[in-house]
Amino acid sequence: MSLLQEEREIILSNEYVDNFDFDEVAKFVKGASKDLFISHHFKQKNKMLVQPRGGFPTYQKQFALNEFFVKANVDVLPLTIDSNTRLNDYATAKKMLRLSEENDVDMLNGYPLVNHGYRTTRKMITHFNKPVSLRHGTPDARLLIETAIASGIFEIEGGPITYLLPYSKNFPLDKAFLYWKYVERVCANYSQLNEPINRESFGPLTATLVPPAITIVIQLLEMLLSLEEGVKSFSVSFSQTGSMNQDIVTGAVIKKLAKYYAEQINCADAAIHLVYHQWMGAFPTNKDYAEQLINMSTVIASMVGADKIITKTREEASGIPTKEANAKTVANTQYTLGILNGLPNIVDEEEEEILTLQVKAIMEAVFNDPADTLWRKVFNSIKSGVIDVPFSPHIINHNKMITIRDAKKNIRIIKRGNVPIPDRCYAYDKAQCDLTKDTTSIVNDIIHDIGIMQ
Amino acid sequence: MYIQVRALKNMKVVTGVVGNDIHVVANRLLELSLDARGYEVFNLGVNTYLEEFFDAVVETGADVLMISSLNGEAEGWSREVQLLKAKYKHLDNLIMMIGGNLVVGTGSAEDIIPKYKNYGFDIVCHQVDLNTGLDQLEAFIEERVVNDSDIKESNK
Repeated sequence: MSLLQEEREIILSNEYVDNFDFDEVAKFVKGASKDLFISHHFKQKNKMLVQPRGGFPTYQKQFALNEFFVKANVDVLPLTIDSNTRLNDYATAKKMLRLSEENDVDMLNGYPLVNHGYRTTRKMITHFNKPVSLRHGTPDARLLIETAIASGIFEIEGGPITYLLPYSKNFPLDKAFLYWKYVERVCANYSQLNEPINRESFGPLTATLVPPAITIVIQLLEMLLSLEEGVKSFSVSFSQTGSMNQDIVTGAVIKKLAKYYAEQINCADAAIHLVYHQWMGAFPTNKDYAEQLINMSTVIASMVGADKIITKTREEASGIPTKEANAKTVANTQYTLGILNGLPNIVDEEEEEILTLQVKAIMEAVFNDPADTLWRKVFNSIKSGVIDVPFSPHIINHNKMITIRDAKKNIRIIKRGNVPIPDRCYAYDKAQCDLTKDTTSIVNDIIHDIGIMQ
Repeated sequence: MYIQVRALKNMKVVTGVVGNDIHVVANRLLELSLDARGYEVFNLGVNTYLEEFFDAVVETGADVLMISSLNGEAEGWSREVQLLKAKYKHLDNLIMMIGGNLVVGTGSAEDIIPKYKNYGFDIVCHQVDLNTGLDQLEAFIEERVVNDSDIKESNK
C-alpha cells in the first residue's frame, strides 16, 4: 500500500465519517456524468461560467438554494462550508447542525459537509447534475476534500497560501503546505478516472490593496505546487482591483505567465483557466448601488476575458444573503453577459511590461532560494518577506510592503519592504503617486482607498 | 518642557486586537501611524489575549498599552483587566488606552466611556477616527508631563 493510501485510511477512519468505501467512491467518480465536471464545461468554451457563493447548514435549505440558482440559470453551483468545519471542529458543527435542524434557525454560516457525509450529499449533487465548486478556507482540508469528491464535487478551491495568509494568525504555514500536498495528490489520482478534477486558487487574498504582482506570484506558485503533483486542470484567479485598466493588465499578464511557468515544469498539457471575482472589498450599504457595482464587475470580467465569474449580492454589506437575492445576482449577471457584445480589445503594453518584470523578479527570487523543494522555497520566501501580502493577519507575514492608489485608482507599491521589485518598476509605481504627503495623510488616503466603493 | 514631550514621543507602545477578532486593517494602519508619530511600536496583531498584552508590556517595558476591538468583544474581556493587571508588578504608570468598536451591536459613547474607565482605561475611544484618538493620547501624555513637573516643583 502506498504511503498516500495509508494516510488516506487514517484520515478517513475519523469518528465523524460513516464507513468510507474507497472502491465504491472510485467507481462513482469513474462513472460520473461529465456535466458534474467543471473542467468538461471549460473545454466547451461556450461562455463565461457564472457561479454564486452560498451555503446553508441543513440539507433542505441547501437544496432549496440550489433550486433557486438553477431557476436563475446558474452555470456552477457553490457549496460554501461552515467555519467550524474549516477549523476541523466537527463536534461543534454536528451540534450546531442539529440545533439548526430542530429550531429552523441557522446556527452555521455554511454547509457542514463532513457531518452530512458523502452518501447524503451525493444525492443532492447528482440530482441537480451541475458542476459544484467547494468554497471553504480550510488549512487542513484532507477529510473535507475526500468527502467532497466522494459527493460528486469536482472543483476544489483553496491552497496552502491563499487559504492561510488572509484568514489565520497562528496556523503553521509549513503544515498547510503538507496538508495541501495531500489534497493535490488525491485530486490528481481521481483525475485519471474521468474528466480532471479542477483546482482553483483564491486570488483575492485579503482583498485590501493587494498589488497585482503579489496576487499573480501567489497564483502562479499555487498553480505550480498543484501541477507538480499531477493536477491537470487549474484555475488562477483575482478580484476586481478598482481600476479597469489594472484589471485588464492583470488578466493579460497572469494568462501569459501561467502558460509560461507551466511549460517550464513540463506541464503544458494541463488546462489553465482564469476566474474573476466581483469586487471583494467593502460594499455600499445602498442595495441599488451594490447592484450597479456588481454589474460593472461583470463588464470588467468580460473585458478581462475570464472563463468564470464569481458573484456577489446586493445584500453583501448586511450579511449572509437570502436565496432570493443570491439567485437575482445570477440572473442579472447572465443577462449582462448576454448583451455584452463587440467588446474592444485593450492592450496597455507599458503597464504589462512593468507588471511582468515585477512578477518575474519575485518568481526568480523564490526559485533561487536554496531549499530543496518548491514548497520549502515558497515557505522561506514568505518568511523572509520576498512575498509580502498587505493586511494579512498571519504572524509569518512580513507587513513591510505599503501600497496606495494613484489618481486613476491603480494599486501602486510605495514601499517594497523585502519584495524584490526591480528598481525601474519601483520608480515607475512611485512616480504615479503623490509622495510629498506626510504619513498621517497617507494613512488617511489608505483608509479612503480601501473604502473606494462604499 | 518641549524637550520633555519630544522625549516622551519615543515612548514604547504595545498594541493589538483583543480576543478572537481577526479584523486586521485598522491594526496595521495604527502601527503605521504610531510609528510616524515617533513611538516605538510593538504590534501583537489580531487575535491577542489579555495575558499576552500584559506579558508584552512587561517584556518591552512599554509606557502605553493600546488595545483595540472591532467586533466588540472587548466588552467581555475588559471586565478582567483590573484583576489581571493587579497580578503584574510595576504597572501603575502604564497608560491604558482602548479604542475601536467597543460594544456588540449598538451603544452610545456616553454609556460606554464611563464603563471602560471603570474597567481601568485612561483613554477610551469608541468609534473615533484613528488620528483623533492618537491626538487624545498625545494630549494625555503632555498633560501628565505637566502634572509631573508640577509635582517635582512642589517637592523642592
